[in-house]
Amino acid sequence: MRPPEREYESNPTSPRIHPQARSPSLSPSPKANGHVANGHGSPMNGSSKHSKSPVPRVELPGATIYDDSYIDREEYIRLVIQSLRDIGYIESAATLEAESGYVMETSRVAEFRRCILEGTWSEAESALEHLGVSENDGLWEAKCHISQQKYLECLESGRTSMALHVLRNELAPLHTDPELLHPLSSLVMCTDAADLRQKAGWDGAHGSSRRRLLVNLQSYIPSSLMIPPRRFVTLLDQARLQQISQCIYHNAPITPQHFSLYADHTCDTDLFPRVTTTILQVHTDEVWSLEWSHSGKFLASASKDKSVIVWSVGPNSNPEISLYLHLQDHQFPVGCLAWSLDDTILLSSCEQLIKMWNTESGALIRTIEAHTEPVSALAWVPDGSGFISASQDRKINLWGSDGKQRDSWGITATRIIDLAVTPDFTRLVAIGESARDPILSTPRSDAAAASATARNGNNNTAPNGSRTPEYLMIVYDLTTKQPELSVSLGGQLTSVKISSDSQYALVNHAPDEVHLWDLFTGRLARKYTGQRQGRHIIRSCFGGVDGNFVVSGSEDGKVYVWHRDRGILLDVLAGHGLGSVNSVAWNPRNTQMFASCSDDCTIRLWEPSAGGTDGDSASRLAHRTADDRSHEGELNGKGKGKGRESWVEDISASRIL
Amino acid sequence: MGMSYRRYLAGARVYGCLSCRTHLTTIHSMISRAFNGQHGRAYLFEDVVNVIEGEPNDRQMTTGNHTVRDIYCCKCKTILGWKYEKAYEQSQKYKEGKYILERNLLVDVQ
Repeated sequence: MRPPEREYESNPTSPRIHPQARSPSLSPSPKANGHVANGHGSPMNGSSKHSKSPVPRVELPGATIYDDSYIDREEYIRLVIQSLRDIGYIESAATLEAESGYVMETSRVAEFRRCILEGTWSEAESALEHLGVSENDGLWEAKCHISQQKYLECLESGRTSMALHVLRNELAPLHTDPELLHPLSSLVMCTDAADLRQKAGWDGAHGSSRRRLLVNLQSYIPSSLMIPPRRFVTLLDQARLQQISQCIYHNAPITPQHFSLYADHTCDTDLFPRVTTTILQVHTDEVWSLEWSHSGKFLASASKDKSVIVWSVGPNSNPEISLYLHLQDHQFPVGCLAWSLDDTILLSSCEQLIKMWNTESGALIRTIEAHTEPVSALAWVPDGSGFISASQDRKINLWGSDGKQRDSWGITATRIIDLAVTPDFTRLVAIGESARDPILSTPRSDAAAASATARNGNNNTAPNGSRTPEYLMIVYDLTTKQPELSVSLGGQLTSVKISSDSQYALVNHAPDEVHLWDLFTGRLARKYTGQRQGRHIIRSCFGGVDGNFVVSGSEDGKVYVWHRDRGILLDVLAGHGLGSVNSVAWNPRNTQMFASCSDDCTIRLWEPSAGGTDGDSASRLAHRTADDRSHEGELNGKGKGKGRESWVEDISASRIL
Repeated sequence: MGMSYRRYLAGARVYGCLSCRTHLTTIHSMISRAFNGQHGRAYLFEDVVNVIEGEPNDRQMTTGNHTVRDIYCCKCKTILGWKYEKAYEQSQKYKEGKYILERNLLVDVQ
């Protein structure tokens, strides 16, 4: 135990007024509630006063902690006392109470806390009334909480008659709604205490239930009387969240290493993936689609060259990248890809076919021919039991992981372009073009009129005199298969992805926009602009820590990166050659890596710059790429860092299947 | 060129490619049935979708000299007919920008 003298002797510069010389102008602040700031309120909560000489009270002018601050001194000190006690610095808390004249809480509050934690219920109820909780402030509800705890504890300890007494005389008169009372009364039938705890979802008198009850009851008591638990830390957490929201390149996990109270948090922009570190150049035609395995260790790419390549990507720092599988048994260009949840099966679609591949051996497990038009979307269901396919033939089918059809949604009203299932397994979001029955929806007179317009040289009319198609986003309830939302949009939709919290759908919308839809409210939440798209299937994705970023391909050959919540365009990454950047995919395990694929037949991996300027490393890489063509054997496998080897066709090192 | 899906048409009668059933045009787009191609009867259409156009070349036809491009089905690459780029005879100018599809290479699709 430290001698209390040292507490203030070590701080001789602080202004101090003798305890007896209280300034009359120093009236208690409105929140002081009189009895709190009486200077003699003995500190509660077991803070033993062993000090031989009492700590003198320090009198200060004003009511804030600094002259120009809005922070009320009493509020601040009481939070400090609370945190000191929580940490275990009981003596320091007591000293601070004595020196400041503020107490964390009055003896009545402490008494109330003790009653709840010790389970002396009748005293707790009367203490509640003394704390100023009146009928209007929910005294009735607060009493209900107490009686319910009392009832459960009686049942738990086998005092059934006492429990019934509480039920009849306390709970029944309070609960007018039998819906609430019935589940409680049925608990009498529980066989033993464990059964009771399980059925009631309650952890018993010796668990955390009394502390939880206290937290519940605190909402009825003014917070100035009884400070909410961990109040200081709550405020600091809010500051941290605010700092994160201001950090537009925020891509760091929440660890003490990245957050300090000493300085505001900002992420180093050099740690943001914006430099090409690897170019994968084996496909012989446009690369259309990319999907990372769930492990983040493999990247699958689908190409117009009628093949799929699975790339193996090493661990986070300086990953070695190699061609793992080259799946060439496709009769047509490959449009979509989907990894099973355990990464053992890769699905690919080419025209109307679905192919299932063993990702260990590269063997073709099965070819499914159930659609009559190109398969445009493949998505595994969140429990991994199977997958959903959708097609331009308007059908949506559900398959087991064995490739056998389990269910069908029949023929929908939409030629589907893309589809995604929410991770919470509740919704399916499909985008496409409406395809109503042509005979019903296109009366001959209309069509003839449109056709006549076309003949008059109006080239804006859709070909063949048909109406401009309607582009739809349809949100289905996954269990009932019924549409719960259908939105008609003004341009072609080419891609849909769902955020990890199942709240948002990211939809590419021609011309030149990416839309973020809030599926909970059914409203457009945000638009991202800058990228170019008009005619082609351009895909986008979420990425980074907490899915903080949105990335999209673009018909101008660049990659666009936005801050998801603020919509700020962070980066426009150049590097791909002529044509469109068709798709992008963020590594699900390495938040500092994403991939893009392009009409230029290549895939680029984007990572943070490892020092040096971005332009410099990019140009060095481009140079090495050109070099690699002539020195492929030499460079293979020895490149490191920014200028790692780029992959050129190297049969000897790859497994061609 | 980028990835895109083929277009789908709606109407009382949709003509598709005989070999792969890719949608090509509709009856509402038809201008004339009175043409002949390499495989017999051919139709002139205002507009055709899902075709790839070949290189332009000049051809002497029964109605005079024309600059035309062969058109191929974008899925199965079958030559389906041609597109008129330029007609040298004033009376044939109406065909410019229009498409010929051979009847025997077409099938009704829905």
